[in-house]
Amino acid sequence: MIARALLAGALALAAALPAAAERPLSALELFVQKDKGYCIACHQLPAGVGPATRADVGPALEGARMRALGRPAIRELLVDPTKANPATLMPPFGRHRILEPAEIDKLVEFLDALP
Amino acid sequence: MRFRSLALGVAALAFASLALAAHEATRTAIVARLQQQLPSWSGSEYVQGSAAFDDALRASIEENANAAAPVLEAGHKLFTAKFKDGRTLASCFPNGGRRVAQAYPQYDPRLKRVVTLEMAVNQCRKAHGEALYELGEAETMGAVTAYLRSLSNGQKMAVRVPAAAEPRFEEGRRLYFTRMGQRNFACASCHLQAVGKRYVDTPLSPAIGQATHWPEIREGKALTLQARIRECLELMGAAPFAAGSDELNHLEYFLGYLSNGLPLKANVYRPPAR
Repeated sequence: MIARALLAGALALAAALPAAAERPLSALELFVQKDKGYCIACHQLPAGVGPATRADVGPALEGARMRALGRPAIRELLVDPTKANPATLMPPFGRHRILEPAEIDKLVEFLDALP
Repeated sequence: MRFRSLALGVAALAFASLALAAHEATRTAIVARLQQQLPSWSGSEYVQGSAAFDDALRASIEENANAAAPVLEAGHKLFTAKFKDGRTLASCFPNGGRRVAQAYPQYDPRLKRVVTLEMAVNQCRKAHGEALYELGEAETMGAVTAYLRSLSNGQKMAVRVPAAAEPRFEEGRRLYFTRMGQRNFACASCHLQAVGKRYVDTPLSPAIGQATHWPEIREGKALTLQARIRECLELMGAAPFAAGSDELNHLEYFLGYLSNGLPLKANVYRPPAR
């Protein structure tokens, strides 16, 4: 009985693991995770949107400024900011495959929708 | 014939002077750049590094003023422990190790290599038939260098770059300014371009002064400068150079020379990494 329960548990866990691994990350997770964008290391988000930090290597991200830039320019910046400014410190998230195209799209939406 | 020798001699001397000037010109340019960025700073701020930008970090350093004590005690034991042949690490260094660390890294013309203080410790152990310490091991090499460098506290950094070592210094400079890894950062991106800005929550220290306060004491362990550079390289998404590699030795050489004239202050406390 115990063995059957353990087996059932193990099978359930095995079935759940790939699903968890494949779950697409949210835009905020892409923004804060060290192995993803880790944008939070350099940029502050508006209050209440994400973790509060004092990071200021890059400018604080505000919705009005994002919308003034527009989605195509935000996307370009995320893919390869050195095109617009060769001296920038911002990583080329697309060119260096730090983020996949779909992940960049998700971040563009997130940034464009900031308050 | 004599005239030609003299002319060759003068030319060689002029060339040597030019070569000597290269590393000093690099340092002068970096000093000038940082003075422009940090006009109110004097030597003491440079020695404090990132703490000079952060009241809370300075308070935390003061609160943990004795954090290095257990490490220094362990380092003292290792430094004075007798080898199988009856000698000690202390016997390998002039003045028993007092007032020597400020001159490291140094160029060894016999080996034609830059020798760090950690390498000098291992050279001593090897010469006396003892097993080498792992360069990145906090409990042995970290503790010994913590103690050894503490014997030079207050001494002004005095790293020499003879003409023969100029290419090593130049490689250190080149590596410091080269963008590396997936994140495309150079050391200079953070420690010259963005000095004083906060990466995550920590203010970025300037290149000048970075070599003065090693090892750092973090979570009760001594972290060498090369171990810290390796952490940075990982953050940059680059495969870190091996501890004791020529690349890291030359980077340390470059940073050591940049800090010349600043007082050495070993074993500064730093809070756990986030």
